[in-house]
Amino acid sequence: MNFIFPSTPAPKDLLQSRLMKLTALFIFLCCLVLTFSPAVRLHTWLADYHWEQWVGFAVWICGFSLIYRQVNRSLPDRDPYLLPIIAILSGWGLIEIYRLNPSLGFRQTAWLGACFLAMLVGFRIPQFFTILRRYKYVWLISGLILAILTFFLGTYPGGTGPRLWLDIGGIYLQPSEFLKILLIIYLAAYLADSLPTHFRLIQLLTPTIILGGAALLILIAQRDLGTASLFIIIYTLIIYLASGKRRVLLFSFLGVVIALIAGYFLFDVIRLRIEAWINPWLDPAGRSYQIVQSLLAVANGGLFGRGIGLGSPGVVPVAQSDFIFSAICEEFGLAGAIALIIILAVLTIRGLGIALHAPNKFQRFLAAGVTSYLIAQSLLILGGTTRLLPLTGVTLPFISYGGSSLVTAFFSAFLLMMISNQSEDQPASIENGRSYIFVGSIFLVGLTLVAALVGWWSMIRADGLLLRTDNPRRAISDRYVVRGEILDRNNVVLAQSTGEKGSYVRTLTYPLLSATVGYSNPDYGQTGVEASMDNYLRGVAGNPTTTIWIARELYSQYPIGLNVRLSLDLKIQKQADTLMQGKTGGLILMNAKSGEILAVANAPTFDANQLDTQWQGWMKDTSAPLLNRATMGQYPAGTAVSSFILANYLADRELPGVTPAFIWTVGSGGENSCAVSPGIDPDWASLISSGCTGAITSLMQNSTSTNLTNLFDELGFSTRPQIQIETSTASSIPSLSDVSQYITSDSLRVSPLQLAIAAAEITNGGHKITPKLVSAYQSPMGDWILMSQNTPTAPLTKLDAPSAVNLLLQDKLPVWQTVAQVEDKGKTVSWYVAGTPTDWQGVPFVLVIALEESTAAQAEQIGQELIKNIFVPN
Amino acid sequence: MLALIVLILRYALMFVLYIFLGWVIYTLWRDLRFQSQIVTTQKIPQITLSLESDVDGTRLSFAKPELVIGRDSECDFQIHDEAVSTRHARLTYRYLQWWVEDLQSTNGTFLNDQRVETSTVIIKGDELRVGHQNILIDIETTE
Repeated sequence: MNFIFPSTPAPKDLLQSRLMKLTALFIFLCCLVLTFSPAVRLHTWLADYHWEQWVGFAVWICGFSLIYRQVNRSLPDRDPYLLPIIAILSGWGLIEIYRLNPSLGFRQTAWLGACFLAMLVGFRIPQFFTILRRYKYVWLISGLILAILTFFLGTYPGGTGPRLWLDIGGIYLQPSEFLKILLIIYLAAYLADSLPTHFRLIQLLTPTIILGGAALLILIAQRDLGTASLFIIIYTLIIYLASGKRRVLLFSFLGVVIALIAGYFLFDVIRLRIEAWINPWLDPAGRSYQIVQSLLAVANGGLFGRGIGLGSPGVVPVAQSDFIFSAICEEFGLAGAIALIIILAVLTIRGLGIALHAPNKFQRFLAAGVTSYLIAQSLLILGGTTRLLPLTGVTLPFISYGGSSLVTAFFSAFLLMMISNQSEDQPASIENGRSYIFVGSIFLVGLTLVAALVGWWSMIRADGLLLRTDNPRRAISDRYVVRGEILDRNNVVLAQSTGEKGSYVRTLTYPLLSATVGYSNPDYGQTGVEASMDNYLRGVAGNPTTTIWIARELYSQYPIGLNVRLSLDLKIQKQADTLMQGKTGGLILMNAKSGEILAVANAPTFDANQLDTQWQGWMKDTSAPLLNRATMGQYPAGTAVSSFILANYLADRELPGVTPAFIWTVGSGGENSCAVSPGIDPDWASLISSGCTGAITSLMQNSTSTNLTNLFDELGFSTRPQIQIETSTASSIPSLSDVSQYITSDSLRVSPLQLAIAAAEITNGGHKITPKLVSAYQSPMGDWILMSQNTPTAPLTKLDAPSAVNLLLQDKLPVWQTVAQVEDKGKTVSWYVAGTPTDWQGVPFVLVIALEESTAAQAEQIGQELIKNIFVPN
Repeated sequence: MLALIVLILRYALMFVLYIFLGWVIYTLWRDLRFQSQIVTTQKIPQITLSLESDVDGTRLSFAKPELVIGRDSECDFQIHDEAVSTRHARLTYRYLQWWVEDLQSTNGTFLNDQRVETSTVIIKGDELRVGHQNILIDIETTE
């Protein structure tokens, strides 16, 4: 290493050499970890290693070795901390850029090379500061002209965006970056020339306000508000440092506050930024997407970070420039972030110290100006990514991707090094040094706040943040780690991870269950069981904490997922799906005692394996294939509720001796209509089980609206069912003066699942049940652990369920049944509800079918066919 | 196995980073201690200006590093003389000396009858001529 950074015995050189060697070792280790990171993610030696960053490392170390020697020769008395600081910042940034995007890494390397060359040339320019000072107007005005050119020739390198760049033969320049340093040079030169005379502040500042204001106007017109605010800060700080007058700070602060308030009402951009800052959780997918994603990255870092190449900072938008600090937080953790902040703090102290020791006013103001620029800009973006300040799109000097930004930062560092090179400690006299201490204190307080906030997000709030569903790291981990399988009650696989490690995809082996099993997709999120059982399927629940910890620390991944068993019976499910084919509606078959759901059929439905290609079509499809009709469809109940009305009636009295006499017609809703034909000379039983409206309404005449709403409420029609997949919120039960309208109109609405839960009470002798879809998960040892069991509840006294069941029992099949056919906004909705008798010896079940645009006879046919298949397995 | 090696490397690089920081902070602290030991309270020796013509002796003493002589009321040392420019000359303290410099005045500044062309060191007992006025200079001696 001595060959790369040779040292003389002088203590300053020794220190600088030692720091440079440590820097080189640090960057080398970063490159090494990055090289192996793909293999770690795949848990195998056979992987495509990252090699690109070594090109960057080679250029970086050669460049700094050359600069180091040159500096030792031409600037014997420079500050020994500056070169190591810019080396570690630029190297760290460069490797992180390679990690995020190798092709941008190569571009940044080229820019770094250009910076090195410019610096080597710069050291040889005689009378450097005299030239800078003499042509101050030339520099600033040429900068302004470049900035104005962006109005006519501006482009955005990445496609569409703010047109702040000039394209010069494939090299993109951002004039506003250079404008910053040119403004500092101009201000330093002007103030050094004009300050000694005690003219009034306003007279002194007039020319600078005109030129600074012109620059500001250009930036505001270009909507480059981050740089514009930086301009105000730099301008204020330089004037304050030079004049030592506190009122400069006060006026500027008031001005900024007024501008901010005005901007809030005038510019959408500013309003969006401020709203996203004050409450980012309101719109995490839209306006505050960037800041929320940035905080998620910080949270994922934890104390020591995920390791370079092992986190997922690439999911934060523009991670390589604006959000590179979140990337560093994620991959180097709180420890890395604090180290970076300490480095910036040292730069603050050294920079202002150099200013105080400068030999003349021009160099003092210049040093103070560039230090203010470097630290203020760092604070703006560090604060923005950690939600200390509203987000402003500026770069992190030395670290962020961007040629113009890098060149400007290196030029600033070059100026500082030149100014620090004082052989005799005879600084220019100063009237009031307190302003330097004050500005330094503000910077240090700001940096401390950023460090505290990183600690807050990465330590205290981390767990809550990482569980958010908009954290894409979960989906990314799913590509590398096997997710648990979803099985039916006989351990037949319904969903599993397939493919190669690193590109696992979730596949449903029985796609017709897509609406229930759901999907776990990086772009479309999670639904169904995949969403509700996510913690078990990705192994963060049910695994020992050590397993979870090792997986996270070593691989930055989740442990191997646990299998989950559903109560569904794939054999019956297939029969149900076949019967529902071509129809529109939902079917649900449930164990009437345990509440276990045996089959959920939906038609039409979608295929979760083809989400990526079909999503748009399904979203636009008016038949709503993505909807789980069995659990989420809300249909008018009609005579489907007649079993409950009957049981309610029988609880108080006997059926009347006379049956209602109509000439029954088959149809929907009318007083003399039946859902299916009740046969010739029907009795009460066949009238009710055939859904004959007139017969059922006659049983309701003694009930008031309050009686009925209470009954429906108790049956659960107004509560949302709790089950491991999505359900719709329950419709409220209306209060109707004409009680018959509960079954003739479309005002009482329920989902098939709600009706199944209520029907199970009838079969179950009036006992309430809780529906259940997931029955167990498989522990890492291989044994099945049951999910929580039902607790039996007392029967509902209002209902005489056994008598109702006996009355509605069918001749052909050993089940009770009701049917309905209702008009719903011009559409016909039909129901089939059936259940086993109360004293049934086999598995008690209820079946509910709701069909759109079909007759009750069709629903009945499907239902009876399925029941036959259940009793006589073929 | 590989993951373990990489984990060790990750901790190692963090260790190196903190060695760097530790070294920076340690040397800065050492430097500060060193400076506080050698620090001497550098005071600006007080400079006293008086007009030769003014027999009553309006003597003005200054302890600040920079003052301007001229006709303007904003000047530190104001002289009511038509031959004196608005801002005529500047006295500054740097490199442990007091210096005089002419601010491109119309009639020039003379130190002991020699025209001041560039910044010139002044010492106790020097005579400065601006316009028709002679200014006597007295500088406090430091031990």
